[in-house]
Amino acid sequence: MRVLALHPDRCTGCLRCELACSYMQTGTYQPSKSVIRVSPFEGYTSYAPYTCTQCAEGWCMTACPVGAITINAVGAKDVLDDKCVGCKLCTIACPYGTMFYDADTTKAYKCNLCDGAPACAEACPTQAITFEEGESADWIGDFAASRTSRVLAREHA
Amino acid sequence: MATRHLIIGGGTAGLNAIRTIREEDSTSEITLVSRERPYSRMVLPYYLGATIAESHVYTATPASLHAWGVKTMLGRRAASLDTAEHRLTLDDGATVAYDDCLIATGSRAARPPVPGAEGPGVHSFWTLDEARAVIADVQPGTRVVMVGAGFISFTILNTILSRGAALTIVEVAPRILPRMVDEACATIVARWLEDHGVTIRAGATLTKIEEWKGKRKLTFKKGAPIFADVVIMATGIRTNLEWVDGSGIEVSAESGGGILVDDHLRSSVKTVYAAGDVARGPNLLTGTLEVHAIEPTAQEHGRVVGANMAGRDRAYRGSLIMNIVEVCHLDIASFGQWDDAKADVFTATRADRSQYRKLLFRGGKLTGAMICGPAEAIWTTNDVGMLKGLVYSGADLSAWKTHLKGNPFDVKPAYLATHTAGKLLPQTILGRASHSPQLPQSVMVQ
Repeated sequence: MRVLALHPDRCTGCLRCELACSYMQTGTYQPSKSVIRVSPFEGYTSYAPYTCTQCAEGWCMTACPVGAITINAVGAKDVLDDKCVGCKLCTIACPYGTMFYDADTTKAYKCNLCDGAPACAEACPTQAITFEEGESADWIGDFAASRTSRVLAREHA
Repeated sequence: MATRHLIIGGGTAGLNAIRTIREEDSTSEITLVSRERPYSRMVLPYYLGATIAESHVYTATPASLHAWGVKTMLGRRAASLDTAEHRLTLDDGATVAYDDCLIATGSRAARPPVPGAEGPGVHSFWTLDEARAVIADVQPGTRVVMVGAGFISFTILNTILSRGAALTIVEVAPRILPRMVDEACATIVARWLEDHGVTIRAGATLTKIEEWKGKRKLTFKKGAPIFADVVIMATGIRTNLEWVDGSGIEVSAESGGGILVDDHLRSSVKTVYAAGDVARGPNLLTGTLEVHAIEPTAQEHGRVVGANMAGRDRAYRGSLIMNIVEVCHLDIASFGQWDDAKADVFTATRADRSQYRKLLFRGGKLTGAMICGPAEAIWTTNDVGMLKGLVYSGADLSAWKTHLKGNPFDVKPAYLATHTAGKLLPQTILGRASHSPQLPQSVMVQ
């Protein structure tokens, strides 16, 4: 399966991925509706994108009481709009914090890999997000640990 | 001869068991006994709110059950179980023989022993039939009183309002949502609801409901009576287990009851499993046997039982108590041991934004959490998931405890830097990737 590989050391925090994602997912250029989220570290000097890994368990999918989340043709877990009732069970079932809820449509939504052509990867100017064959991984754990160590050390001092 | 699986109860646990058996094998015999046609109680509030059609609530149709090779006996109740003879007797006298069986008969709405609680114009909201009755009675301008300010009444609060009714909630405990949130959170939620036109009366003990000039008059131990067109009793649930008496299956005598199950969700009779609201299974965090009458537990129980019935020998780590509900665009969620007096507790309130966080630690592990905030704030939704991941994975947050003490809202960096996603990725309930909810054609039984 092709997965979204995230390379935080290449991320510049330009947020083009969020714009592209929100347009693809909701038809509007609103970063607040993007399902890929860029987090700042060390006082906005470094950044890391974060999104759904399409995990094997598919916590969102198994939690859905009406079978509204299925696996699409490219292997991504995808919300079927006409089946989703907006109960939010998927948002507490997902232990990655990568389920979203659109208050305008009252539906859950998430990364569906844009059915095989992820807009975030296409929009990223530095290849910090790539769509490639491989396994999902904890792409930004090491980066986040190193970029937060100074903050923690200062707090403990 | 093919193994004969008997599933008693067509709710979330039963349907998940059936689907999982069929994901594993297509040759065994499956019989479903269910008093009702399978549907999801979880989505009844949306049916009540007319945002979905009745057809949307069903989780299986006669056609899909047939395609899955399930023999159905619907509209009938289980009456008695002979575990020595491996035989179930139904209320009409029919019998079903089995090799293994699942008890997933769920629970029903319970009403307090108050005069008039069973009278006309007094509803419960638990089954599809009860939902239909509420729909028929609640119209624009209807004065509705909900007795009980727990999770169930909160799931239908929005739709009662959207139907144009005037709503009063009364609760016997001194505050709303007593089993889901703490006092600080309840205060924020109560203020929010009152700002949205809901009248709340907590600490009110109902003593009588009577007819009064075509309306319902509710009398309380203290304070003025309340008049209503419609009363909805959301005063708890009771497990449907009376029929198991005399079967030799061990049922807990403790509060909440439930069939005692092991880590494979087998009862004291090893060919009989229990799942969902009727099962007293392990708590993920403490290992204590508890009834968690919530949808995610029923779903996980059902899948684990299905795998075991299909011969997968799958142990279950336990269930995490969790709830989420949105009322008037305010999200409220809690996880795990949020009421633990021995935990280190960090809280933060942004009262002007109706936001509240509570984190509970045992040592370096997050063992409980509470979250409240406006639904349009995307961080609320994302943090709900990350808090679940931190509690579920048992991530070591020792290095982050000081930071989170001062910044209970700053969950994401702690989540990412402790490699929580990496710990969770290999973990699956069934020891394999989950399947799409629709069974692929290849495993359909003809």
